Amino acid sequence: MATEADFRTRLQDWLPKLVLAPSFAVTLLFVYGFILFTIVLSFTGSKMLPKFTWVGFENYEKLFALPAWNTAIVNIAIFATLYIVICTVIGLMLAIFLDQKIRGEGMLRPIYLYPMALSFIVTGTAWKWFLDPGIGLERIMHQWGWESFSFTWIKDGEMALYTIVIAAVWQTSGFVMAMFLAGLRGIDNETLKAAQIDGASNWQLYRRIVIPLLRPAFLSAFVILSHLAIKSYDLVIALTGGGPGRATEMPATFMYSYTFTRNQMGIGASSAVIMLMTIAAIMVPYLYAELKEKK
Amino acid sequence: MAAVTQDTAVSTGRITRTFIYLVLVLFALFYLLPLYVMGVNSLKPLNEITGGNMMALPSQWTLEPWRSAWSTAQIGVEPTGLKPYFLNSILMVVPAVAISTIIGALNGYVLTKWRFRGDTWVFGLMLFSCFIPFQIVLIPMAVVLGKLGLAGTVPGLILVHVVYGIGFTTLYFRNYYASFPTELVRAAMIDGAGFFRIFWRILLPVSGPIAVVSVIWQFTNIWNDFLFGVSFGGTSQPMTVALNNLVQSSTGVKEYNVHFAGAILAALPTLLVYIVAGRYFVRGLMAGSVKG
Amino acid sequence: MGFLDIRNVTKSYGPVQVLHRIDIAVEEGEFLVLVGPSGCGKSTLLNMIAGLEAITDGEIAIKGRVVNGVHPSKRNIAMVFQSYALYPNMTVGQNMTFGLEMHGVPKPERDRALADVAKLLQIETLLDRKPGQLSGGQRQRVAMGRALVRNPDVFLFDEPLSNLDAKLRVDMRTEIKKLHQKLKTTIVYVTHDQIEALTLSTRIAVMNKGHVQQLGTPKEIYDTPANLFVATFMGSPAMNIVPATVVMENGHPHAALTDADGGVHRLRFSQANLAAWEGKPILLGIRPEAITDPEGADRKSGNIQPFSNRVTVTEPAGSDTFVTMTLSGKDVIARMRADANVTPGQSFDFAINMEKAVAFDPATEARIPA
Ligand SMILES: Nc1ncnc2c1ncn2[C@@H]1O[C@H](COP(=O)(O)OP(=O)(O)OP(=O)(O)O)[C@@H](O)[C@H]1O
Ligand SMILES: [Mg+2]
Repeated sequence: MATEADFRTRLQDWLPKLVLAPSFAVTLLFVYGFILFTIVLSFTGSKMLPKFTWVGFENYEKLFALPAWNTAIVNIAIFATLYIVICTVIGLMLAIFLDQKIRGEGMLRPIYLYPMALSFIVTGTAWKWFLDPGIGLERIMHQWGWESFSFTWIKDGEMALYTIVIAAVWQTSGFVMAMFLAGLRGIDNETLKAAQIDGASNWQLYRRIVIPLLRPAFLSAFVILSHLAIKSYDLVIALTGGGPGRATEMPATFMYSYTFTRNQMGIGASSAVIMLMTIAAIMVPYLYAELKEKK
Repeated sequence: MAAVTQDTAVSTGRITRTFIYLVLVLFALFYLLPLYVMGVNSLKPLNEITGGNMMALPSQWTLEPWRSAWSTAQIGVEPTGLKPYFLNSILMVVPAVAISTIIGALNGYVLTKWRFRGDTWVFGLMLFSCFIPFQIVLIPMAVVLGKLGLAGTVPGLILVHVVYGIGFTTLYFRNYYASFPTELVRAAMIDGAGFFRIFWRILLPVSGPIAVVSVIWQFTNIWNDFLFGVSFGGTSQPMTVALNNLVQSSTGVKEYNVHFAGAILAALPTLLVYIVAGRYFVRGLMAGSVKG
Repeated sequence: MGFLDIRNVTKSYGPVQVLHRIDIAVEEGEFLVLVGPSGCGKSTLLNMIAGLEAITDGEIAIKGRVVNGVHPSKRNIAMVFQSYALYPNMTVGQNMTFGLEMHGVPKPERDRALADVAKLLQIETLLDRKPGQLSGGQRQRVAMGRALVRNPDVFLFDEPLSNLDAKLRVDMRTEIKKLHQKLKTTIVYVTHDQIEALTLSTRIAVMNKGHVQQLGTPKEIYDTPANLFVATFMGSPAMNIVPATVVMENGHPHAALTDADGGVHRLRFSQANLAAWEGKPILLGIRPEAITDPEGADRKSGNIQPFSNRVTVTEPAGSDTFVTMTLSGKDVIARMRADANVTPGQSFDFAINMEKAVAFDPATEARIPA
């Protein structure tokens, strides 16, 4: 009696796993294996090449004693906060405005969104020269007759960080707008009508009903923006190169320069580990909740 | 974005509406400004930039900056223009996009229609890999590419982009196939179709929309990548790295007009994709927030 | 040994057992309906017959061949799904012949089989359309056609009518019944609609929480339900269940009931062995159509008993009027002729057909057998 599965059925049972296996193996090796490797490196005295001399937490101690790293941390904190807040505010505002039966919405939306299709290097190049006092905004204003106008942020160690915020907001706020707009359009019209019948003014309607209903969009926007912020490397390189001096150093640029140009691989690795941990602290709970829900 | 046409029930007064239009238009100008600046100044001779106004239209229109950016500008040490790098990018993007999309489709198919114990974990692990800061893999990747003899080559970059792209492509196809009725797969099984035949005959023919999303997303991401390019590009650097080298070069006069032309050249393929298939592009971005 | 044997089959998902030792033998040409509330395991059982779910324990045999572990396509079965599961990218014709194509049947033969079935189901004109261009009823037909083309040993239907509107459902029900009578195929049919079960089947398996509660012909199930669950699940409106005490009068067992006004009614049972329950509580089960106005009582019955009670609600339903009263603290529904003159709040004379009454043991909820 054939209680054992026949060959075809058994093959069919195994095929899916066989098909998935390479991807899974590659992920395990190239992502989790590599993460492990970097974590191990961060506890070694590696300089130019990986070297497995155990040094304990020395790299982490050195790292947090380095002024450059501390600048990077302060910078990323300021940058990420401003970037996330401004993108969210602009995105939400544009979405709500666009949702008022606007004529020409079909034309405005793509205009708001196209920067997202560009490389950060292109964005950086455009803004770098546009904000350059010698040829850009400042000079334009002078030529238009506003002689006292001064805008030298990009050359100014104190202010250069904010030019990165401007360029980054320019690139992503349209996308945040799209996320909120999708959220707004997903809200049941009848709920809004009911609130209006209850006597809510437009302002109350948004503050009390619409914005709370956009919670999922806020969460998604926050997760995506914070992940983009921490990974930001290209934009800094293209716009300021981390300068003037080291004024706009970020963890991403710090890691790269310590690892590949200053031959301090151990310290570079430890900075990468810190970055990973920060992102994981945000992403893991989010992904976990999303997958749980889906099941 | 295309399907959303439902309007809110909110009504607004005249003054508010005028204000809203004003804000919307001002922001449109803000978003268009850099594109305008790049476009206008890439068509001027250099002296009109250094001696004139960036916002002004060219008084003498010229394509010379474009020609220079494409074929003669100094990139690093060689006066090759961006052309060879553009080709590198193409050679890298096309296979990387194709491979990662195909793998993503198969993975999504397995993860939704051939579920097994622990499949959510497998997917979760793959998904998390989309969000890691790539700095964490740079060092070991450099070592492995060196060992494989792929350091500084286009195949090396393809490998890197495929490896770190399949998380996203798998996410797309998984979310898409999740809403595809499992009963269809069961019907096909009873009809006698096997694993690959079901994929090929039943799922693939209806996968067009998500394949477009996946291709656009991957294309944009890989084309626009800088970190992997600059780390592992070696002698086969992609367009973004070359553009950065062009702009950042500290020798000689800064040819802003050439830089702008180069920037537009680097942006052109993705902009084109965006113009042709914008709504799929947006859908891809949205799916990045995990929900399908 | 039957044509399709389900022998002691169990199914568990991890620690959760969803089917408990199911044992059913289906004869050739039989129309077996699996009926039960949502989540009771009907689809799971059907999927195990199809080979779409693994069998945890036990055996399933088709034509004497044990098919555990045999690939679905090698069991010579066909299945019609609730959502029809038509391949959206193929035309109706391609949908219907896909299975034959997968089995390597040459094109001319496929076309012949397609033409025959299309004629049978009167869908010849639809063959070149895509499923998206069909109405619900047409899709339903195509899904059946796809099953028929294969000429399988066993047809499996999983709630095939539940996506249709009420009218179409009745039409398709008749059509399926006709088809079965014409083709004499063996069918296992899942539904949670008890009317469908009663009208279509030659036998019904009533399931609840992974157990078969009763297996029998529609008449057996309806007239002599094995337990309270079957009694209340099958039939609409549901069977009335009233607590009663068995008392003896003139040597016959009677059911003693109280009405809302405190009056006591004694109704003689036809079932003599209930004498053994003298003085004990039972649950009296009586279908609404067995309580009527005296003129509407079943003349053939040998045990019609009159009683009067106050009416609480009347619900005219066109062909009948349903009347609610209170007995032993429970709402009891009676089925009157449409023109019966009943007024809520007033007392009315009823006739109850005690031949149709059943009694349940309150402790086990099983029917007390005659
Ligand atoms: N993959 C699974 N894992 C765990 N439990 C499952 C799985 N599939 C089904 N079940 C459980 O098995 C039980 C029976 O499910 P089944 O689909 O057979 O019900 P059903 O009788 O067909 O109900 P319905 O009338 O709603 O279709 C349910 O309680 C269900 O929750
Ligand atoms: Mg079911």
